[in-house]
Amino acid sequence: MSNATRTSKWSWLFLGFGFFFLYAPMLSLIVYSFNENRLVTVWSGFSTKWYGALMQDDQMLAAAWVSLRIAFYTACASVVLGTMAAMVMTRMRGFRGKTLFSGMITAPLVMPEVITGLSLLLLFVSLSTWTGLDFARGMTTIWVAHVTLCMAFVTVVISSRLAELDRSLEEAAMDLGANRVKVFFLITLPIISPALMSGWLLAFTLSLDDLVLASFVSGPSSTTLPMQVFSSARMGVSPKINALATILIVGVSTIGVIGWYFMERAERRRQAEMQAAAKQ
Amino acid sequence: MTSAITSTPIPAATPGGKPDKRGVDDYLVIDTVRKEFDGFVAVDDVSINIRKGEIFALLGASGCGKSTLLRCLAGFEKPTAGRIVLAGADVTDLPPYLRPINMMFQSYALFPHLTVEQNIAFGLKQDGMAKEPCQRRVDEMLNLVQMSKFAKRKPHQLSGGQQQRVALARSLAKSPKLLLLDEPMGALDKKLRSQMQLELVNIIETLGVTCVMVTHDQEEAMTMANRIAVMEAGRFRQIGSPDEIYEQPNSRYTAEFIGSVNLFEGKIDKDEKDFVTIACPTLPDPIYVAHGVTGFTGMDVAFALRPEKMQISKTEPAEPHNKAHGIIEDIAYFGDHSVYHIRLDRGTKVMCNFVNQQRWASEGFTWNDPVWISWGDLEGVVLTS
Repeated sequence: MSNATRTSKWSWLFLGFGFFFLYAPMLSLIVYSFNENRLVTVWSGFSTKWYGALMQDDQMLAAAWVSLRIAFYTACASVVLGTMAAMVMTRMRGFRGKTLFSGMITAPLVMPEVITGLSLLLLFVSLSTWTGLDFARGMTTIWVAHVTLCMAFVTVVISSRLAELDRSLEEAAMDLGANRVKVFFLITLPIISPALMSGWLLAFTLSLDDLVLASFVSGPSSTTLPMQVFSSARMGVSPKINALATILIVGVSTIGVIGWYFMERAERRRQAEMQAAAKQ
Repeated sequence: MTSAITSTPIPAATPGGKPDKRGVDDYLVIDTVRKEFDGFVAVDDVSINIRKGEIFALLGASGCGKSTLLRCLAGFEKPTAGRIVLAGADVTDLPPYLRPINMMFQSYALFPHLTVEQNIAFGLKQDGMAKEPCQRRVDEMLNLVQMSKFAKRKPHQLSGGQQQRVALARSLAKSPKLLLLDEPMGALDKKLRSQMQLELVNIIETLGVTCVMVTHDQEEAMTMANRIAVMEAGRFRQIGSPDEIYEQPNSRYTAEFIGSVNLFEGKIDKDEKDFVTIACPTLPDPIYVAHGVTGFTGMDVAFALRPEKMQISKTEPAEPHNKAHGIIEDIAYFGDHSVYHIRLDRGTKVMCNFVNQQRWASEGFTWNDPVWISWGDLEGVVLTS
């Protein structure tokens, strides 16, 4: 008994240490966002003035708006492309180069972003030269760059769900008279929709916090939020950044907690219903 | 009962104990269907005609090709060679969604995001059926499987037996010309199984739908099917009604696969017109079989004897042949009957069933008792393959 207690004391200690390591920086950031002093590291009293200042900062707000729009479009495109790639990877019987295809789809996961960014920049520049068209660097090019990265993640998420999906569900639908296209839209898609949702959110957050790719392919009028934060931090960290970070942290964790709550509730209800059904 | 000395399957067997719903004899024609996977032959030139309204079971151990053949019928696998003709129409090259064939899957494959009602309506909607007749048909099917009060539930809110009823209703909703059942009781516990088997047969026979089922459970095949095909290594070993398969196995494989059996290997000793004797090294006297067989003197055969066809006694039976002496080595008590494992004097072990017709009847015999076993002249089967 005492042995168990001792073990659990140690466990708590390690747990505490882990949490401290993860969250102490964020906590101090949140605390200092309410600092009255303009020096980030000197505490001189509580104030919300930096939040006000942030709201006045048009550059920062514009950058945030650009980032949100890019993230939204990236997430949508990544989910569409990722689902298509995942279907090919899990549903098509062995075709020539399937392994190569699967490998290449997931390559952006391990590719250093600097290299991806640089190669995309070269691509855009040379495309403009060859075609004579104007591939002006801006939101569109950032969007393309983000889709190449995010799609790989989304493909992994969705293909793992597709791989564990009971194939007989799709066969049953086909057996009942639905052709392949109908099977996909009426059966496969609704069943994997939670995976689509988490893939969308993953792509959205990845796009929102990307700095490296965006720096390579952005144009003068398309500064994203991470780029703005990074450049202003180089001028000296303003408490405004703390305020912005606090807003982001609160926003993200609120969405996370709400999502977790609903999933947990749905799962618990499901379990209860299954138990009730088994008792009958 | 006569001899069963043929190594080839009996092509069109006479129906057995179940009521025969003889319709067109070749309603479903499977004509030398072959399926290969990368050189591996899963189904090896199989042919069979199935009657209208018949329940036909493909029975075999896992990997014998029965599921592959079923998937060929459903259209999920395309045969390497051969034709499948249903009600006069060649369906071999049709995709699954154009075949008038529906299947009940082993896992039921109910769509988890649709209600019971929507699951049953799915196939009807694919045919473009209007809303009202569709609803009527769904209600009818729900009624048939007694699931009307669960219409609005989702599949996960149902027990295993209820899910199976819904799966059956869904596969029958489109009035298919052929119903396929893939291990229909595979996911149910034993008690529910025997109840559902009879219920399923009742529903299928009421509707008169032709049905091909796949199972590895011989009891299930014998309970449900009019005819059974025993499959091994992609081929039919024997086709016949349940009692034919049990009482007249045509090979050692079927005899051992269906039920339990004692096999005595030996050679034909005397080959007369109305009897044969078989000399077995494991038995003191030759076996006397009171009917002729198609064979020759000196031919290697096996004599198959079901455990329940033997008598067990403490004193030597009066008959001149078909008896042996031994010692009870093991007793398995099942309540309704006991199985005695008896070691014969020459070392072979045989199984002998004893029905416990009276209370405590099984106490008459105990371990290490010397006993005599005996059997009638017509009780065994001579197997040449």
